[in-house]
Amino acid sequence: MKNYRLISILQLIIILLFISGCQNKSSEKSARIICAINSDLVSLNPLFAFSDNEGNISELLYASLVQHDWDDKKGDMETSPMLAKSWEWSRDSSSITINLRDDVKWSDGQQFTANDVVFTFDAYSDPLVQSKLYGTFKNFYVDSALHIDLKKTFIVKNPFGIIINFKKNSAPTFYDIDFPIIPEHVFKNIYRKDLVTAEKELKPVTDGAFSLFEWNKNQSLILKADKKSFLYKDGNVSELIFKIVPDYNSELTQLKKGEIDLMQDIKADDCTALLKINNLNIIAIKGREYDYAGWNNIDPDVYKKTKRAVPNKLFGNYEIRKALTFSINRGEIIKQFMDNHGEAADGPVSPIFKEAFNYDLQPLIYSPDSAKKLLTQAGWKDTDRNGTLKKNGREFSFTLSIPGGNPRRDFTAALIQNNLQAAGIKVIIEKLEPEVFFQKMFNRELDAWVAGWTVSIPLDLKSFWYSKLEDAPLNVVSYQNKTIDELLEKIEISQNRDEKNVLYKKLQEVIYNDNPVTFLFWDDKLIAYNTRIHNINASPLGVFHNCRNWLTVK
Amino acid sequence: MRKEIFKVLVKRCFTSILVLFLLLTFLFILLRISPGDPSLKFISPELSPKLTALVKKSFSLEDSFLTQYKTFILNLSKGEFGISYTYRVPVVQVIKRTLPFTIIFSLVSFIIQISCGFLLSLKAVKRINGITDRIISKTSLAVYAIPSFVAGVFLIYIFSEKLNVLPSSGLCSFDTESYTTIQKLFDYAQHLILPLITLSLNGIAVFFKYLRDNLEEVYNKPFVEYLRANGFTEKDIVRKHIIPNAINPLISIAGVELGLLFGGALITEVIFALPGMGRLTVNAILSRDYPLVTGCTFVAGILVILTNLCADIIKAVLDKRIAKGILN
Repeated sequence: MKNYRLISILQLIIILLFISGCQNKSSEKSARIICAINSDLVSLNPLFAFSDNEGNISELLYASLVQHDWDDKKGDMETSPMLAKSWEWSRDSSSITINLRDDVKWSDGQQFTANDVVFTFDAYSDPLVQSKLYGTFKNFYVDSALHIDLKKTFIVKNPFGIIINFKKNSAPTFYDIDFPIIPEHVFKNIYRKDLVTAEKELKPVTDGAFSLFEWNKNQSLILKADKKSFLYKDGNVSELIFKIVPDYNSELTQLKKGEIDLMQDIKADDCTALLKINNLNIIAIKGREYDYAGWNNIDPDVYKKTKRAVPNKLFGNYEIRKALTFSINRGEIIKQFMDNHGEAADGPVSPIFKEAFNYDLQPLIYSPDSAKKLLTQAGWKDTDRNGTLKKNGREFSFTLSIPGGNPRRDFTAALIQNNLQAAGIKVIIEKLEPEVFFQKMFNRELDAWVAGWTVSIPLDLKSFWYSKLEDAPLNVVSYQNKTIDELLEKIEISQNRDEKNVLYKKLQEVIYNDNPVTFLFWDDKLIAYNTRIHNINASPLGVFHNCRNWLTVK
Repeated sequence: MRKEIFKVLVKRCFTSILVLFLLLTFLFILLRISPGDPSLKFISPELSPKLTALVKKSFSLEDSFLTQYKTFILNLSKGEFGISYTYRVPVVQVIKRTLPFTIIFSLVSFIIQISCGFLLSLKAVKRINGITDRIISKTSLAVYAIPSFVAGVFLIYIFSEKLNVLPSSGLCSFDTESYTTIQKLFDYAQHLILPLITLSLNGIAVFFKYLRDNLEEVYNKPFVEYLRANGFTEKDIVRKHIIPNAINPLISIAGVELGLLFGGALITEVIFALPGMGRLTVNAILSRDYPLVTGCTFVAGILVILTNLCADIIKAVLDKRIAKGILN
């Protein structure tokens, strides 16, 4: 009898839970958008917004002096006012006079002033703070520790007027002043070294389009539109929730169910199924991320021992590298794995940069015959007919390293292995734990590998291709070319956009001929969203850039 | 006897501290010799090597191995694990955020595992090798063979995607501010049904198997026949004689199982997006967050030692004959 009672109570509880579960679904708020992100944020403080998500979300909370948007027609950025109401560059572009908005208040009621601007630059460049931008203020007057010299740099005319002086002979742009401004009155009394930990205790005092409503660690981050903000327009999205869902399949299920409204990094395989669902749509953001097969241009063993750059016995010759490029069927990866959501790459400038992209270069199409010709010219022949090329008694074989846990890299490596085997080159695939892989890659210890880069906006290729390896930490293939160095130096000091574009085109031509790496493909970023979200202006700057202008319909 | 038990307990505490110390020292060495650079993701690619070295210095990883170890031991003696590289707050604070959830979640799952395993084994041994016993045994074997990521995804597919009666992830809904306490509790319970089933299925199968075999063994002992011959009812035999004799080996297993649960249930936490220790530890390992890995290991180690100690004490209380032997 007792057992029956217990079972009845349990049944009742289960029924109640199910009923309440069903009821909940009807209480969806229409002006609220739930976006999935796969890991929680560490910080909302823009000083320490190291990850992409942290950067995007902190920009929703904190306004910048100027705003940059992507102009798809020009394939370049456009600058518009934000906290700066108007500005005037000096004739020689060595300084800028900025008039600030006088109607901006921080979320605690304090007035935003020019002092906040000075404090922000000071904090970002302070070596004690170790902010994400530390060491990057190259166009400013800085001391030996790269801390901005405030006296030389800033003249505060009045609370809403400021002059910023740049270093002599530098080429400053709006990008030098485009980052979120933080409130001086909140952070000034905190010891700079403690800023990194102290910010955890503070509720963010913001001036952006959104303010923080709730942050449930590892669960969700809820932002509410700040209706008093100068950035708010009637009808804009009123609540933005970032839900942390670490598992891709769970994210997909929630998207189908309507538990989330937007999901990034959709796999190409899932697109067809998602498009069959009535209320879902998919957009592809054209790529500024490319995958490449890296050929170490120098001997990694000699470099490790002596730090000397001696040409690699296999990949030191540009004709061999070109032969490798001809041997790899890049179109197959795009077709088979990416379902054509990408395009073949032949250089480090993405086609999205329409004015800088060199359209004259003919794509290097898969051509085993051309590869064979180049390899034979370089002395690599299958002398003993065992299927592997040889030269001076040495087989053409090498290890291709890839980071583990990335199916696309697995597929690419397997395809490269098969393609090169057909060309008589033996490839051994080595899968490394990601941290180990990247450490070895940055230390230039690998022979060959498959990895990817994201090209920054605005374009900045110096750290990828400059010959002086100490100044180019991302030149992991150790490519060295004097012409490229000259072009990069000219680009760095040029203030003329057209001139820069011409230089970039030349740079692509040299790289195209040298093949320091085999550029594989530009990868489209696929985003699925609920069709009740309108005005999504997905640009290469990311889907969340400008999301304050999203609209929702019931 | 009491004095002796006290002495044994003190001795056990000392050995536990020694085990923990060795565990953490071993971990410290392993972390330092394993490849990977924790500072890599905090270094802007535009920084020169000089500035890169400056950033690396702030991680105190440029010091000699011995200096690092000395600092580590010194901090440990004060109960400090340092600042997490990723979260940039003291490790204790980071663990504090996830530990309460893990403990509650693990305890509830543990209770479900024990009680379901117990009830099923009692049902099964009522007629050993009968139809019920055979069905439950075969099903439990099948359930044990299903990995939790398969079970989790399957449950989400059925209850969340197809039937749409339970949420597929998270700990609570977004609109709970207007809820009453009861509604909030229901909301939590609703979110935890699928994760709890996923986490508990394997444990239920394990407990069932152990308990069923023990019960069968005790059932077949001569004293049970003797009790029956003396007119004891079947209910009394089971409750007063068979269960107490069969339950002892299960307590040790339960101690180990609970300790493992406290360490975190990575797969369940990832599939259902729950904020537990498993996810925290694995992320810390992947991002080479040395202080956080150490902190998580310490907490997991303490909990395993404590649960095992508790299991041994319970066994000793139930059977005083073996008290000293167990506690030693």
